[in-house]
Amino acid sequence: MPDDNKKTPLLDELEKGPWPSFVKEIKSAAESEPMAADLLGQLELSYQEKISHWKHGGIVGVMGYGGGVIGRYSDVPEKFPNVAHFHTMRVNMPSGWFYTSEVLRKICDIWERHGSGLFNFHGSTGDIILLGTRTDQLEPTFQELTHLGFDLGGSGSVMRSPSACVGQARCEWACYDTMDLCNEITHTYQDELHRPPFPYKFKFKFSGCPNDCVASIARADLSIIGTWKDDIQQDNAAIAEYAAAGVDIQKDVCDHCPTKCMEWDGKKLKIQNRECVRCMHCINVLPKALRPGKEKGAVVLIGAKAPILQGALLSSVLIPFVPADELLETLKELVSRIWDFWGEYGNNRERVGELIQRVGMATFLDAIGLDPVPEMISAPRDNPYIFFKKEDAEAAGDGNGAAAQR
Amino acid sequence: MPAATETIAEAMYQMVAEYMGKKNLKATDLTKAMIAKFGEAECTKEDCKHAIRLLIDSGRCVYSYFGGSYITLPHKEGAAPE
Amino acid sequence: MATQAERLTDIGPPDFRQFLHPLIKKNYGQWRYHEILAPGVLCHVAESGDRLYTVRAGWPRLVGLASVRLMADLAEKYSSGYLRFTSRNNVEFLLADPQNIEPLKQELAAAGFPVGGTQNSISNIVHTQGWVHCHSSATDASGIVKAVMDRLCDQFTEQKLPGKLRIALACCLNMCGAVHCSDIAILGIHRRAPRVQHDTLRKLCEIPNVISSCPTGAIRSATVDGQPSVEVIEEQCMFCANCYTVCPSMPLNDPENDGLSIWVGGKVSNARSAPRFSKLAIPFIPNNPPRWPEVVEAVANIVDVYARNARKFERVGDWIERIGWPRFFELTGIPFTRYHIDDFRYAGQTYARSTHIRY
Repeated sequence: MPDDNKKTPLLDELEKGPWPSFVKEIKSAAESEPMAADLLGQLELSYQEKISHWKHGGIVGVMGYGGGVIGRYSDVPEKFPNVAHFHTMRVNMPSGWFYTSEVLRKICDIWERHGSGLFNFHGSTGDIILLGTRTDQLEPTFQELTHLGFDLGGSGSVMRSPSACVGQARCEWACYDTMDLCNEITHTYQDELHRPPFPYKFKFKFSGCPNDCVASIARADLSIIGTWKDDIQQDNAAIAEYAAAGVDIQKDVCDHCPTKCMEWDGKKLKIQNRECVRCMHCINVLPKALRPGKEKGAVVLIGAKAPILQGALLSSVLIPFVPADELLETLKELVSRIWDFWGEYGNNRERVGELIQRVGMATFLDAIGLDPVPEMISAPRDNPYIFFKKEDAEAAGDGNGAAAQR
Repeated sequence: MPAATETIAEAMYQMVAEYMGKKNLKATDLTKAMIAKFGEAECTKEDCKHAIRLLIDSGRCVYSYFGGSYITLPHKEGAAPE
Repeated sequence: MATQAERLTDIGPPDFRQFLHPLIKKNYGQWRYHEILAPGVLCHVAESGDRLYTVRAGWPRLVGLASVRLMADLAEKYSSGYLRFTSRNNVEFLLADPQNIEPLKQELAAAGFPVGGTQNSISNIVHTQGWVHCHSSATDASGIVKAVMDRLCDQFTEQKLPGKLRIALACCLNMCGAVHCSDIAILGIHRRAPRVQHDTLRKLCEIPNVISSCPTGAIRSATVDGQPSVEVIEEQCMFCANCYTVCPSMPLNDPENDGLSIWVGGKVSNARSAPRFSKLAIPFIPNNPPRWPEVVEAVANIVDVYARNARKFERVGDWIERIGWPRFFELTGIPFTRYHIDDFRYAGQTYARSTHIRY
């Protein structure tokens, strides 16, 4: 006799249609795993009642770590006992999300032994998400994962698992080795990733060019976005080929240039590289003919975040250019100063971008020892409420040129 | 003389126990308090990091999470089913 | 047996180099240019002349063992066992032999995984957990994504839009999916102030922390039944749920009042125009599982109007900037309301401060 608990008429509707169905995925897992079956049942209940049936997080984890596991409990455990505990484990992905079939199979085998058999490939921050297991399975899963060479990712007030675009592995536009830098930073700060030392989360995202495929400028406390300093590399024969093949160079390339730094006379493309803001449009449209220059590196920007708490922020420029081969050392030096200041003055649940809003960028720059440069702003202030420092005002007022002597 | 990691850890433990149920403490709170207590010369941020690790690895304290990460005495998770 | 082995910690993620296709290892940092051979099929050409082919397919993100193993099977059959995933939850197979492209595409299609997501298409939707795994969600995530992508699947497998179009969904204001810079963002919202559970609050939460968690100062201390607790000044609540994150005794989930909002015109790329936030298009659509037809229609309508009106290369935000917001509301038929006018901090920045008006 069919068990009413197992009927899912609402979710069944989501098996229809051309896009691959997550309901089919859960059902397939449910054939052999009671946790997946109860997840399906509880989700059906949420669809009926239009409300979540998960309880607020928890403190579960593996021994010694303060992150990497998201505690989750059902609020209807009597109905769905197999998801009474249904904790998520975040597994730090390899840079660029590259895998072999062999390692994916081994991850599957571990998760088949210890959990629901359901994943997110991948979570929003980039981790492999092992979706749902019991408290007593956390240590055994962790043990097997580490012996496969994987470690947990971040959660809570830690450095979250840094992520990188495909970079030089498969992109001609990558202005630095995003995957290597991501890997280096992740390994350098393992303690900060696993043992919460901060007022709140801290994210690094590494994009190889201003197309920003990992949404670094919108999502990372420290955004490292590749760029170049010298002239765009230009292959005139290839441009002519594009034109001959029907690309309207004037309309599709020049007219969209935000600084109007290019001219096309029907034969030759002239670029005023001094005026170029490295937006990537012309390179995106003519990938065979135009490429980033040879003097490569990255812009370092700071402070992006989603709305909670004081409103969403985009990152803003902190260092206009760091040569590619100096990025790792520069970042290490920089974050130690940023983390010191944030640790000292940041409020509970205050991201570094919000701290900067609260104390002011100038104060923040003083604290981390960076000089102000005009690349940091879109315009100088338009209000006259200037917090002059006492010593500067005194210097101007005492007529002795004290400031000049300092 | 620099304070021993065990001494700092013990002082941290006492502080966590004292504040339990009154105020959740973060790693930065404990670190600041210990530097104030022992003095900057005797107790560095690095020493505090080691002391926290000692507390957590020994199981005397655990990390907890309520919107931010805190260091608390081990206790039963409030949302866990009986 | 692994369980008896030494306990390892702090080993970090595995070095990505061991997972790279030999062609990638050989040509790392030496790529010359790329071409898009067909929707979902890329060809990268190295300085050495080597060619690497990529086949990109969409999948649901929430997947089971069987699908992961299927991708492993396909990788072994067609791409020497090498594959990767994109930042938008697509799977990519890395092929040395172009002969393998068509049979791989056919097997993916037969298994129900569409190939596409490149250039001027709608790539896979970045999204959050929803009712599948989150306590604070105002809606489900996977279900809406499935319903929207069913409707827009042709836009994934073709590249016919004026520009790239990126959709994202977050099931509450925490925005684990960081939807705030998307061409179209679907955002779960609460509309009722938290209902304080005084009996558990005393046990589970620190009152000063709960009070300070509120960005608008809407929570103040109160004595309830002779015991210390908090109360919420409802008119001041903007339903951000930050107090609920800090304290489980402040739930604000509500079946009849939770729902979705739609935001448009954001982007993260620096191409042509600067990155920018998405702006409010529709303040509220009620939850209507299992297929959220009103949300699907709203998104499809915006895509359709954009596709018919935008110029080549224009992202949704570029297009709206050119035609102006009044025309956007006119063309889409979306009603403009008082909720569209910002009244949070720095609200004036989005007020019209010129006489530049199209009539």
